[in-house]
Amino acid sequence: MNPETEKTLAFYGRMTANLTHEFKNILAIIQESAGLMEDIMAVAPLSKEKYQERFNNSMTTIKNQLQRGMQLATRFNKFAHAPDHASDELDLGETVEHFCTLTERFARLKHISLEADTREIKLTTNPLLLYMALFYSLDSCLSVLPAKSSISMAASENSGKPVIEIECAGKDAPAAPQFFTKLRESSAWKELEDTAAQLGASLECAENDLRFCLFF
Amino acid sequence: MKTRVLLVDDEQQFVEQLSERLKFRDYDVSICFSGEEAVENIKQYIYDVVILDVSMPGIDGNKALKRIKELRPLTEVIMLTGHATVESAIDGMKQGAFDYLMKPCDTNELIAKINNARQRKTEQEERIRAAKAKRYSTSPWSALEDK
Repeated sequence: MNPETEKTLAFYGRMTANLTHEFKNILAIIQESAGLMEDIMAVAPLSKEKYQERFNNSMTTIKNQLQRGMQLATRFNKFAHAPDHASDELDLGETVEHFCTLTERFARLKHISLEADTREIKLTTNPLLLYMALFYSLDSCLSVLPAKSSISMAASENSGKPVIEIECAGKDAPAAPQFFTKLRESSAWKELEDTAAQLGASLECAENDLRFCLFF
Repeated sequence: MKTRVLLVDDEQQFVEQLSERLKFRDYDVSICFSGEEAVENIKQYIYDVVILDVSMPGIDGNKALKRIKELRPLTEVIMLTGHATVESAIDGMKQGAFDYLMKPCDTNELIAKINNARQRKTEQEERIRAAKAKRYSTSPWSALEDK
């Protein structure tokens, strides 16, 4: 297997393992909520009013988790189709937003918040490489930032050209020079540089802020 | 006496719903949403069984298990894992977890494991009591040494 294929499979493996874990969480909540409703139904004829609120709460939980699951499944499906075309026109804002939904758990496990701040911007590029660039951007930030930090990923335009801007913050986060030194030492950053080059995008870091951009 | 169960998982709704179901079955249930919170809770209260998720923010299930076993060696821990591979749960078993379950798990299976875990804890406690009683009968002064 060549190194590029190996890299792509490793990326897909991490994304898929993360998402299936999220689906299992959703299914577990639905299962327990439905089970609780079953338990309540078994005793309800004796004390219906007492359990009505708990029954309704379980119903709401099931509906919310189904919505969460459906949104995740839709975005996961779009992600799974990323390798279909080597080049495709896509909405950069939507892709960034979907990416953040799909990877929010990676950040959550480190007590870091991840947000997408996006608007509709058309871009023709390699969808798989774009997802990989976003993934390595996030992975490099997560390797440097302490708990209680935040990461914001935004799609915008600069002189009519699409840009992805990644901004980090947090009261315990390192200052810009140390942040970028550590970031550049991470293996994910090296992968990001390679992927950006393959996309034909330039990677630029801010001098005083914890912010870097991918210019297309 | 009701079986005292501590449920630990960062999926808040999962913990709340499962807790309700166990209460319906007459268990005395407390809940925590992180490994850190669970360790702090266990310093103050004694539980018979802890249901512990493996993958959580902060200290994960295996690290929390180690701390729980240091603090309360007799408390039995059942690991919950969402991973398709059971390696993380096997690591937990090596560190003294009673058993593990894959998420989403069958409630009846979970209840059976909780009951078995409680049974083992009771047996261990009885063995310790018997050993102490034997020691006291052969050496009454040792009762004072234990205090």
